Amino acid sequence: MSFKAAKQWLLNEGRRRGLELEVLGSSQRQLEIDAVDGKAADFNLSTRGGVGVRVVVGGKVGYASTEDLAPEALAWTLDEAVENAELQPAGRAALPAGGALGRHDLLDEGLSAELAAKAGAAVELHRGLAQDERVQSIQYARYSEGQIDVELGSTTGVDGSYRAGTAAVIAGLVMREGESVKQGFEYDAKGDFHQLEPGRTALRALDQIGRQLGARPLITGRRRAIFEPQVVGSLLQLLSYALSGKTLAEGKSALAGKLGERIAAENVTLVDDATRHGGLASRPFDAEGTPSQRLVVIENGTFRSFLHNTDTAARTGQSTTGHAKRDYRSTLGVAPTNLILEPGSGISPGDGVLVTDLMGVHAGANPITGDVSVQAMGLETANGETFPVDDFAVSFNLFELLLRVEEVGAEVLERPAAGGGSVVVPSIAVADVSFAGK
Amino acid sequence: MLTHDVYDALLRRARSGGADFAEVYVERWRKRALRTVNGGVEEATSSIQLGAGVRMFFGEDVVYGYTNDLGEAALTELVGDLLALRHAGRNGGAGASGTGHAGNAAGGDGAGRPDASGRGGLDLRKLDVGPAIHAPSVAFDRHDKRWRLERLREADAGARIAPEITQVEASLQEVEQEIAVANTDGILVGDDRVRTRLVVHAIASDAQETQTGHGGPGLSMGLELLDLYQPADVGRRAAEMALTNLRARKAPAGSMPVVVGNAFGGVIFHEALGHLLETTAVARNASVLAGKLGEQIASPVVTYVDDGTIPHGWGSTRIDDEGAPTERTVLIENGVLKSYMVDRWGSLLTGYRPTGSGRRQDYTYAPTSRMRNTFVTNGDTPKEKLFEGIERGLYAKVLGGGQVRPGSGEYNFAVREGYMIRDGEIAEPVRGAMLLGKGPDTIKKIVAVSNDQSNEPGMCGSRSGSIPTEVGQPHLLVSDIVVGGEA
Repeated sequence: MSFKAAKQWLLNEGRRRGLELEVLGSSQRQLEIDAVDGKAADFNLSTRGGVGVRVVVGGKVGYASTEDLAPEALAWTLDEAVENAELQPAGRAALPAGGALGRHDLLDEGLSAELAAKAGAAVELHRGLAQDERVQSIQYARYSEGQIDVELGSTTGVDGSYRAGTAAVIAGLVMREGESVKQGFEYDAKGDFHQLEPGRTALRALDQIGRQLGARPLITGRRRAIFEPQVVGSLLQLLSYALSGKTLAEGKSALAGKLGERIAAENVTLVDDATRHGGLASRPFDAEGTPSQRLVVIENGTFRSFLHNTDTAARTGQSTTGHAKRDYRSTLGVAPTNLILEPGSGISPGDGVLVTDLMGVHAGANPITGDVSVQAMGLETANGETFPVDDFAVSFNLFELLLRVEEVGAEVLERPAAGGGSVVVPSIAVADVSFAGK
Repeated sequence: MLTHDVYDALLRRARSGGADFAEVYVERWRKRALRTVNGGVEEATSSIQLGAGVRMFFGEDVVYGYTNDLGEAALTELVGDLLALRHAGRNGGAGASGTGHAGNAAGGDGAGRPDASGRGGLDLRKLDVGPAIHAPSVAFDRHDKRWRLERLREADAGARIAPEITQVEASLQEVEQEIAVANTDGILVGDDRVRTRLVVHAIASDAQETQTGHGGPGLSMGLELLDLYQPADVGRRAAEMALTNLRARKAPAGSMPVVVGNAFGGVIFHEALGHLLETTAVARNASVLAGKLGEQIASPVVTYVDDGTIPHGWGSTRIDDEGAPTERTVLIENGVLKSYMVDRWGSLLTGYRPTGSGRRQDYTYAPTSRMRNTFVTNGDTPKEKLFEGIERGLYAKVLGGGQVRPGSGEYNFAVREGYMIRDGEIAEPVRGAMLLGKGPDTIKKIVAVSNDQSNEPGMCGSRSGSIPTEVGQPHLLVSDIVVGGEA
């Protein structure tokens, strides 16, 4: 059965059984080309899709999904979803009413370049990396593109679809100078293949990793810290756990009860904007059909809004912000889209540690408490002299750190983020941060 | 799962298109997950996952593609697209002119190449994979969803040991996976895998703080897991950990001796050593431990094993995801490097003997060399002796997840339950500690190994996705590690 036929089969069967039913289907096509020894060598081509159902039975919600579109598999999926719903305690859930959302193409001609040009991008990246003598090993010099087609429909009237995609170049390498060895990666993603500049990405990778060579162990102590944009991006992803209406509804958000209060320094303004033109995570509507909008999350330090879907909004007495996140395999969640920290007036120079990279944020950070103690790399400036440092951890509480932001950088970096989102972030400077090393 | 003729046709098509080796991997999963928060159902999901992956080698180059349309037409088209990609991409990538991007696979240099077997065609032999030593004894259909919910509520009740326990989250995950692998060596082999895992997270709060504790037994078996690990016990242990962390002070920072706990303590070597011994890292010279076979790379008290044959082990399988039999591989013996973990591609590049280590999350990943159940074996120092003579150190009793960069060996991981060691005794609990360093340094600093080895399950994420693995070790003493805490 075809993808669209499966969606129709499920909606018809749902109506026949008197179910409230939402069907989310998506299909993703990906291409990866890896250059090795200056030639396009490894290729990866894939198509993956399926349908996920959300049913509401007597106010209770159930989910199930399948990649097998045969009628028996679709019937099993519907049966399981109903059983899963019946397990729930009595509820008052309902599918959101919706209407025609239209058909949108956000990708346009973004990935229409010739295959040869795409292979050429991987090769150009590889050549750019290989020219530096300090490169010991190139783990990958990759061109990667992905295209997703999303279909949403429900028995309560939601009906829409869109297509989106991105192209990226990704470099992973090991560099050596004397006894000092450093590993890292660098990437660039755009909504249009022609906006990629593999040569520049290679230079940036060499600079980012090469500047850490010859690092000395950092001495334990408290110092001023400047977090580079990619590090700030990691911190925002950590923060998004507390911003999520789902976390709030589950009673785990450290920001519960703080709407309208000061949670960050006055120079901090955070926005989530799914409508950002050319944004890596832009989309016309969320996973339950709420049209996208620009949302101010923190305004000059004051907490303005959590991120919600209709379910978390109902459970917390707030309104949906159009941040429902779901793919066909998952249940309804909440996620940021293009998370933007507004740039400030710039960072003044001075002694301290420029934190260039965090390792193991998933292990060394507690998103509930905000306690962070993670391995980092950086450049220390002491008495006007700057040198690379390693073998240290940086420790702070994220929520305290937000209140103590002294300066915000003027330049922003745009990056894809975990889970399909993106971040648009400047550097930030914070005084008196704990560094543990030698 | 496909017919013999379909495998045969796909593999021949790949060979005639110039591939030196080709493999078709097919799988079907059925998964269920149930999660409660404070005893109420928070999430109940069911899914079917189905797909095929086709991999081809051209010399050392790898082409991989997958689809979840298992019709013969779709699979044939996938093989054709991959061959076209290979030819067009190679030509296009070689120069700026891009003269060869017509994508005409038939016109490529491999066209019409006869089957290399010389037997006039593939003779797919169905391999025997031995007895089903990991098979479940309590099948998933033995009990309904209500029964599962009651078991999770037992875990919740077990965790309610103090008023500070404010939230308990319990989940049960069960998966059934059926796989088949056919390749141009002429093998056709299948495996059925069943895994069950119970995970409990407890949150303890007082006026100032919120802290967490967890437990998560999982094995290759059915619902008998819940007989081996009573949910109430798992809940209680998670709650105890959360309460310990609640009264813990912030960990100190700096370099100090560390006694690492048994079982999940083994994650330190999983990160700092195991990942560096995968040929994925070794082959392209991206591991600091490349080319060191036969060398003393660790302290002589260290013997390190990767064993995929442990009955019902979380990371056990009868065959790997390339169809090769799983085995027990001694990686390090008395500090000397004996073997890497080698998959087919890794073997091709390095010449090392394959160790049945080719694994993948699912059909969406090409297999790479990965760990199975990896652990440090028992030593002969009684556990109490490890602490003797330590004036000031850290007892990292339970570790959390971590990360490593194999190229530099830099690793880090979180201590989930830790205590100070003072004058040879376990003293007050500390929280928020992070252990970090460079793996090759740390394994030389292991000064003593105890004899209480055990393993615990985890999910390991790497190039071929997230896969079940066990980590393990006895208690052991490292002379110094940098502890990231509060300066």
